[in-house]
Amino acid sequence: MDERTAWIALASVDGIGEEISGKLLAVYGSATATLTAANDGRVDAWIAERRRIDGRPPINGPALANLRAMAADPTAPLRDAAQRDLWILTPLDADFPSRLRDLDPPPAIIVGSGNADALRGTRSIALVGTRRPTPAGRLLTTRIATRLVECGAVVVSGLAIGIDGAAHSATIQAGGTTVGVIGAGHDRPGPRAHTGLREDVVESGGALISEYHPRTPPKHGTFPRRNRIIAALGDATLVVEAPIHSGARITATRALEIGRPVFVAPGRVGDWATAGSLAVLRETPARPIVGLDELVEDLGYLAPEQTSDRAVTTAHAALEMLGATEQVVARRLLEGPASLDSLVENTGLAPAVVSSAVTFLLMRGWVQPVGPTYVVAGILVR
Amino acid sequence: MLATLVTAVINALRGEIVRVEIDVAPGLPVCHIVGLPDAALSEARERVRGAIRNSGFEYPLSRITVNLAPADRRKRGSAYDLAIAVGILVASGQIRRGGGSWALLGELSLSGTVEPVAGVLPMVATLQHQGYRRVIVPAENVNEAQLVAGVEVVGVVGLDDAARLVAGPRGRTAGRAVRRPAVELSGPRPQERGPVPRRATRLAAELEPVDLIDIRGQGHARWALEVALAGGHNILLIGPPGAGKTLLARSIPGLQPPLGDDEALEVTVIESVAGLLRDGGLRRERPFRAPHHTSSYAALVGGGPALLPGEATLAHHGVLFLDELAEFDRPALDALRQPLEEGVVGIARATGHVRYPARFQLVAAMNPCRCGHFNDAAQKCRCASGDPERYMRRVSGPLLDRIDIQVEMERVPTTQLLRGPQPESSAIVRERIAAARSVALERNGGRPNAQLPATAVVEACRLEKAADNVLVELGAMHHLSARQTHRLMRVARSIADLREHERVSADDVLAAVQLRDPGTLFDQRAAA
Repeated sequence: MDERTAWIALASVDGIGEEISGKLLAVYGSATATLTAANDGRVDAWIAERRRIDGRPPINGPALANLRAMAADPTAPLRDAAQRDLWILTPLDADFPSRLRDLDPPPAIIVGSGNADALRGTRSIALVGTRRPTPAGRLLTTRIATRLVECGAVVVSGLAIGIDGAAHSATIQAGGTTVGVIGAGHDRPGPRAHTGLREDVVESGGALISEYHPRTPPKHGTFPRRNRIIAALGDATLVVEAPIHSGARITATRALEIGRPVFVAPGRVGDWATAGSLAVLRETPARPIVGLDELVEDLGYLAPEQTSDRAVTTAHAALEMLGATEQVVARRLLEGPASLDSLVENTGLAPAVVSSAVTFLLMRGWVQPVGPTYVVAGILVR
Repeated sequence: MLATLVTAVINALRGEIVRVEIDVAPGLPVCHIVGLPDAALSEARERVRGAIRNSGFEYPLSRITVNLAPADRRKRGSAYDLAIAVGILVASGQIRRGGGSWALLGELSLSGTVEPVAGVLPMVATLQHQGYRRVIVPAENVNEAQLVAGVEVVGVVGLDDAARLVAGPRGRTAGRAVRRPAVELSGPRPQERGPVPRRATRLAAELEPVDLIDIRGQGHARWALEVALAGGHNILLIGPPGAGKTLLARSIPGLQPPLGDDEALEVTVIESVAGLLRDGGLRRERPFRAPHHTSSYAALVGGGPALLPGEATLAHHGVLFLDELAEFDRPALDALRQPLEEGVVGIARATGHVRYPARFQLVAAMNPCRCGHFNDAAQKCRCASGDPERYMRRVSGPLLDRIDIQVEMERVPTTQLLRGPQPESSAIVRERIAAARSVALERNGGRPNAQLPATAVVEACRLEKAADNVLVELGAMHHLSARQTHRLMRVARSIADLREHERVSADDVLAAVQLRDPGTLFDQRAAA
C-alpha cells in the first residue's frame, strides 16, 4: 500500500475530520503507519491514553469502527471514485491546485469530475451570492460572469439556486469555464433543479469538485466549510447580493483570511437583499464594485480587446442597424430593465408591435429575459 | 282499473320516453312503485298522496301499483310525480280522459302545485321526436319547452290544471277540485304566484363583469387575452397577487361574441339538465364558469351518483376560468386533459357511463409561487429555495402543453393607475375579436384557430416568405418540436387575423413568440 492510497483512505473515514487525522499523522508519522496502527490495536491504546489524560476519547466508537474497516480495505475509496468516473487529488500530488495550498490545512482530498485543469487556470474568480436574488442581482451576476469570461477567467461558485446558478449558467453561455464546489459528496450534488446545469458545467470543460467521500450526505456545517474552497480557488471573491444571513458572507470572510481580495456589489441602504453586502463593506477591507470596467481594472485584468473583425462595436452603431420600432424598444431597454407591459406603456406602441420587436432583439441576443422583465445584452451592454 | 301515461327521463343530455302504468285494484290500501326507482322517486308516493288530497281529489283507498316502463332502466328524479298523480286520478275514475293524449312532466308539492324540473328542454325534444304532440310541463319550464317546434306545450301551476287538461272540455272531474285554505296560510295561492324564475346558483355571478376601459396598464396581457379569445386559445396568466389577473378575466364575458344557433341550443340543453336555466329562454351569451379552487373532481368534470354534468360541460362553447390554478386538486386538473383534447368528458361510475360535451376555452390564473412574489421586484419572496419551482410543477406538463398562451403580469405602478391614458373599451375590442373570429371560422371550416389540426395549420397560415424564414431560424435556434412549431403558428394565425392580414407575416410570428414563455425558449435557466 502506497502512502497516497493510505492518505485517501484516512481522509475518507466517516467521523474523522482534519483535526483528528492531523493528530494521528503527528503520532504515527504517516497515513500508512496510521492504518497499520489501526490494524494492530495501537490506535486503541492511544485512544485509551488520551481518554485518561483529556477525560474523553478523541475518536468515538462508530468512527473507530469506520477507521478499522478502512484500514482493512484501504483501496475502497479509490474503487468508489473509479466506479463513479471521478478523479481524486491530494496535497501529496504535484498537480494539486496550488491555490488550495493557501488554506491551512488544505483539504485532504479533492474528489472531482470533469476537467481538473479548470482548477489551475491562470485567472480564476469566485462569484457568489444569495439563494434568493432579485432580478437585478441576477442580471448583474450574468453581466459580471460574461465580462470575466471575456477576460479569460474561470468562474468558481457553489452550484446553489440563485446567484450561484446564474454565475455558472452565464459563464457557460458566454463560452467560458466554470468550477462548481459541491457542499456534500458527489452522490448528493445539490438542488435537483440544477441537474442539467451540473451536466453543462462538465460538458463545457469545467469541473465539479467536493472535499468529501462521494457518499457523504449534506450535513450541518458541510456547506459553510466548502465556502473556504470556493474562496481559495478564486484569486478574488465577488459577492452579489448577500442578505444579513448569507453563506456568501462566510465565503468573503474566508477569502480575506487567506489574503484574497473581496469585491462586493453595494446595494441601497435599507434594502433587505443587500444588507449583508453592506455589512461586509463596512466591517472588512472589501472594495465595492462600481462598474464592470472598474472591476476589471481592480482585478488587474486588462480590458478585453475588441475583436477587430466585429462589424458593430458600440451600442450606438448597433442601434443604427435596427428598424424603427426595434430602435424605440432597444432605447427604452437601455434605460433599464422593463416588462412587456411597461414597454407597451412607455413606448406607446401596440402590444403586438412591441412583442415582435422584442423577439427580434432576443433572436439576435441583444436582449435577454430576466424573470418577467427584459434587459439589454450582447452588443448593447458595451 | 288501468291507466297508462307518458313521461320522460334524462339520460346524460338526452331524454328517454318512460311509460307510467297505474293499476288501482281492490285490496289493502298500499302504493307500490316498481321499475328501478331511486330514493327521490320512491318518495313520490308521499308527494302524490298529499297533492291529490290537497287538490280536492280523493286518494283511493285501494291497492295502487305504479310501473315505470321500460322496467330495466334506472329511474331517478321527481319529474314523474305529475304523471303518477294524474294516472291515479284516471285509474280511480275521478277523471275521464277526454282531452286526448298528453305527455306529462313535473314535480308535485304536497299542496298540489307543480314544481319545475331540470331537463325539460331535452325531454320535450325527445317526446316530439317520438311523435308525441302535446306536453304538459310546469309553468316555470314553459319557455324552454317552447323552444321545441311542433309540440303543443301547456304550462300548469297545479295538479287540478293538469287534471282539467287531461279530462278535456267535456270530461268529467269528480271531487271539488278546490284547493283547501291551508295553502293560503303558507303563502299566496298558486295561481297568483305565477312562474317565478328560480334563483340560479351561478358561481360566475360572484364575479362581477368588468369593462376593459376600467383596467389600466397591462397592455401586453390585454392583448394576449384578445388574441386568445379571437383564436379560441387556452390562456394562463401568471403574476403576483394584485397584478390584475382576476380583474382581466372578469372582462371576458363582455368580450365574447354571442352563441350561434346550434351552439345556443346545445348550451341551453346543458343548462336545462343542470337546472340552471333562469328565465328558460334560449341562452345567447357564452357561458363563463368560474369554479372555486376547492371544487371537487366531480364538480369539475361531472359525476356523482346521478352522473350530472360538471363545470367542464357547463362551460361548453364558453370559458372555464380557473383562478389559482396550482391550488386545484391535481387529479381534478389532470381530468381536464381529456376535454381539452377531445372536447368531451367521459364519466364512468358504478351507476353508469356517460359522455358529455365539454369544448371549452380554458382561462387560468396563478401566482408564480406560494407567497406570490417570486421575481417580484417590489417585494421579497418568502418561499424557501426550490419552492417556486415546486409550485409551478403542481400544474402538470401535459396540461401546460395544452395552454397555447402564457403571459407573465406585473403589478401596475401607481402612477400608471392614476395618470395612464384612457384604455380601449370592451365594445371596441369585442368588435375586433368578433371580426377576427368570423374570418377564422370561415377559413377553417367552422373551427377556431386553436382547434386547427396539425395537418391544416400550414395551409391556414399561408406564411409569407419572411415569416417562413423566421420560423426556420427559430426552429434551428431552439430545437422547436413539431408541436411547439404548430402552436406558434396557430397563435400567429390569430394575431394575423386580428390585424386583418390575409397571410401570416414575419411580424405576426415574432409577436407570437412573446405569448408563450419566451423565457424558457431563450434562456433555459433564466430563473435558475
